[in-house]
Amino acid sequence: MEPHAAAAQNPNPTPNASAGPPPISAYYQTRAEHHAVVSSDWLAHAAAAAASLPEADAAAAADDSAASLLSPGSNGGGGIEEFNFWRRKPEAAEAVAAIMALAAVIRSSRATTMMELEIELKKASDKLKSWDATSISLSAACDLFMRFVTRTSHLEHEKFDAAKSRLIERGEKFGEISLKARKTIAMLSQDFISDACTILVHGYSRVVLEVLKLAASNRKLFRVLCTEGRPDRTGLRMSNELAALGIPVKVLIDSAVAYSMDEVDMVFVGADGVVESGGIINMMGTYQIALVAQSMNKPVYVAAESYKFARLYPLDQKDMTPAHRPIDFGVPIPAGVEVETSARDYTPPQYLTLLLTDLGVLTPSVVSDELIQLYL
Amino acid sequence: MPDVQPLVSEFVLKLKRRKVEGSHAVARQTAELLRSVVSQHRMGSTNQAAALADAIRGVGEQLIAANPIELAVGNIVRRVLHIIKEEDISSTAVGIEGLSVTADSDDEYDSGNDDHPTLSAAVLAAHARNALRAPSLQTLLEDIPVNTGLSRSASSTGDSDGKSGDKSSKSRKLKHDVIAAIGDLIDEIDTCYDQISEQAVEHIHQNEVILTLGRSRTVKEFLYAAKEKKRSFRVFVAEGAPRYQGHVLAKELVEKGVQTTVITDSAVFAMISRVNMVIVGAHAIMANGGVIAPVGMNMVALAAQRHAVPFVVVAGSHKLCPLYPHNPEVLLNELKSPSDLLDFGEFSNCMNCSTQDGTLLNVVNPTFDYVPPKLVSLFITDTGGHSPSYMYRLIAEYYSADDLVVRRKSTSS
Repeated sequence: MEPHAAAAQNPNPTPNASAGPPPISAYYQTRAEHHAVVSSDWLAHAAAAAASLPEADAAAAADDSAASLLSPGSNGGGGIEEFNFWRRKPEAAEAVAAIMALAAVIRSSRATTMMELEIELKKASDKLKSWDATSISLSAACDLFMRFVTRTSHLEHEKFDAAKSRLIERGEKFGEISLKARKTIAMLSQDFISDACTILVHGYSRVVLEVLKLAASNRKLFRVLCTEGRPDRTGLRMSNELAALGIPVKVLIDSAVAYSMDEVDMVFVGADGVVESGGIINMMGTYQIALVAQSMNKPVYVAAESYKFARLYPLDQKDMTPAHRPIDFGVPIPAGVEVETSARDYTPPQYLTLLLTDLGVLTPSVVSDELIQLYL
Repeated sequence: MPDVQPLVSEFVLKLKRRKVEGSHAVARQTAELLRSVVSQHRMGSTNQAAALADAIRGVGEQLIAANPIELAVGNIVRRVLHIIKEEDISSTAVGIEGLSVTADSDDEYDSGNDDHPTLSAAVLAAHARNALRAPSLQTLLEDIPVNTGLSRSASSTGDSDGKSGDKSSKSRKLKHDVIAAIGDLIDEIDTCYDQISEQAVEHIHQNEVILTLGRSRTVKEFLYAAKEKKRSFRVFVAEGAPRYQGHVLAKELVEKGVQTTVITDSAVFAMISRVNMVIVGAHAIMANGGVIAPVGMNMVALAAQRHAVPFVVVAGSHKLCPLYPHNPEVLLNELKSPSDLLDFGEFSNCMNCSTQDGTLLNVVNPTFDYVPPKLVSLFITDTGGHSPSYMYRLIAEYYSADDLVVRRKSTSS
C-alpha cells in the first residue's frame, strides 16, 4: 500500500504508453485506500488531512480551501482539493466526495446568475472527471449533480440566492443520502436472504457488507463464501469483517468459484458502476462469477446505490477506460512477458438477476429507463 | 367503524374457507368490500386521507392474512390505497390553486422565498406529483420529506382550518372521489376480458395451432374473440390434471365452433413441435415478470422454450402483484386435498397410520407453479402487450412504493 499512499497526494494519471510499467490509475488508488486490508493506512490519511486542515469544522475548512482555490478564473483547481479531502474519509463514497466538492464550488462562487454558476460548475466537474477518468461513480455523481442544477424545476421559481443555498444544502446532505441508500438496500435485500442459505460474495463492498450485517442482526442463519480478491485481497478484508460479526465465512481462492458454486444459493456483488445496458462494471472476476452462476442457475444479485448509475454503454470488455493496478506475483516476471493489469470487468445484464438499489428492486432493464428519464 | 366489521369478518371467513377463489372473484369482492368500508368511514376533521388510508390498511391486513395465496386481495388493497393518495393530492392541489395560499405555507421553504406564494404552490404541486411516483434518479437529490402525501395533506387541512364550512364539503368530495374511483376499478376488473380479447386478432393468425393448459376465463374469451373475427385456428387443450378444467374449456370451445384437440398433460412435449403459440392464463404476475400459474405450467413453458414457441400469458391488471417472489414454489403455493388425485380408500391399505414411522405413502396436490420470467415471451394485459422486463413499469403506475407492505400504521394525532 505504501507506494499508493505516497502517490495519493497527487495521483493525476497521465496515461503514457511509452513508459515501461503501465500507470496505476487513480481509480485503483481510491480503492486501495478504502478497501485495503491495512486499515491503519486510512488513519494515516485522516491524520494527514486533519493536519493540513486544522480547523475543527470540516465544512468551514472546506469552504476556506475551496475559496482560495476556486475563485473564478484564478486557477483551474476545480474542487480537487475538496474532493481529495472528502475522498480520504473511509465511510464516504467517491460520489459523495465529488458532490461535496461541487457544493464547495457553489459556496465559494461569486457568480450572480444561474448561468454563470452553471458554467463554473461545469468547469469544476470537468476538472474532477479528468482528474480521474477511470472512476465511474465520480463522473456519474458529477453528472447527476449537474443535472440537478440544470433541470430541477424548483430552482426555476426561486431567487438566485435561495436557489444557491438550496443547492449547497442538497450537496451537503448527499453524504446522508448515500448512507441512507445503503440502509435502504440492506432492508430491501432482507427478503432475499433466507435461513440456511449460502451466499457467495466477491471482493469488498460496503453495500454488501451492510446487507449481510443487517441480515445477521435479524438473526438469519446463513453462510458466506468470500473470494480472496487477488491481488489486493479485498475478499480477505470482507471475510475478516464478516467473521467479526459472527457470520460463518469461508474464503476461497478466486479460481475456486466454479468448484464451490454447487453449494452456493445466491451470489451477491457490489458494483463500481451500473451502466445503461443494466450491466455492471465491478472488480475483476465478477464477470466470470456471473457466468458460472448463470450456467449453474444461481441468482446473481447486485447491490448498488442509484448514484452509481452511469451513462456508459460498454460494448465489450475493452470498451471502457481501463483502470490499472499493480499485481504482485511473488516471483519476478520474466522479461518479455506481458501482464494483464486491468482492475475491473464488465458484466452484461443477461447474467444479472436483479439489482437491489435504493430506488427499489430493479430488473436490469429498468436502469436504462431511469437514465433516459433523467437525461432525456 | 363497527358497521363494516361484520362484512369484513364474513369476507375473511369466506377467504379462509376458500369459498371465494380465483383472482377475478376475489379481486372484485375485495374492491366492493373496500368501497363499502370507504362509504361507511366517518371522516374526521383533520388528516382525512391518512385516516381513511389507515382504515383501509387495517381491513386489508386482515384480508391478506386470511388467504395469503390470493395475491389479488393485496393487489386491490394497494390499488385502493394508491387511489386515496391520488385523489387526496389532486383535491388539495386544486384547493391550493384556488386559495393561492397564504405565504410561508410550508415550513420546508423557509429559505427566503416567502415572497413567492403562488410559485411555491406550483412547487408544492410538483412535490405532490413526486410523492406518487416511485423513487427515481430524478428525485434522488430533490428533497422529498418522508411521507409527503400524508404530512402535506395534514398541513393543508391545517391551513384551511379557518374555513370550516369549506372543509366539510372538501372531505365529502374526497370520499366521493375515492368511492367513484373504486367504482372505476371494479369496472376495470369486469371489463378486463373485453380489453384483452380485443387484441386477440393481432396475435392469433389464420391456420395457427394454439396450445393451452387447463381453463382460464381470460384465455377462453381471447380465443372466442379471435373466432368471432373469422379466424380459423386449432386449439390443443392440455386437460390440466388433477382438476381437469381443460375438459370444460374444450367443450366450451367446441360449442363456439373452434377445432379442438384434448391431450393429456404429459403429451405437451410430444405435441409442442406442431404448435405455433402457447396461450395461458395466470393466477398472479409478480414484479420481476415471473408468473404464478396452475400446476403444470412450468413444464409447458419449458417445452415451449425448447421448441422456441412463443409463451404468451394473458391476465388482467388486477393480477399484477408488486411483490418479488421469494421461494415461490413453497411460499406462494397451496396444497389441496388429495381427493382430486385419488378416490377415498384407494390406497387405504398403505395408509396405515399405526406403523411406527407413520404413513409411507404421501399424496401431495400443489395448486400452483412458478414460471420464471425468462420463459415468458409476452404478457397481454388490458393495457396491451408487455415483455416480462417491463412489468415493473405497470407496477409503478398502479401502486405507490410505500404501500408494498400493507400494515396498519399507528394512528398519529
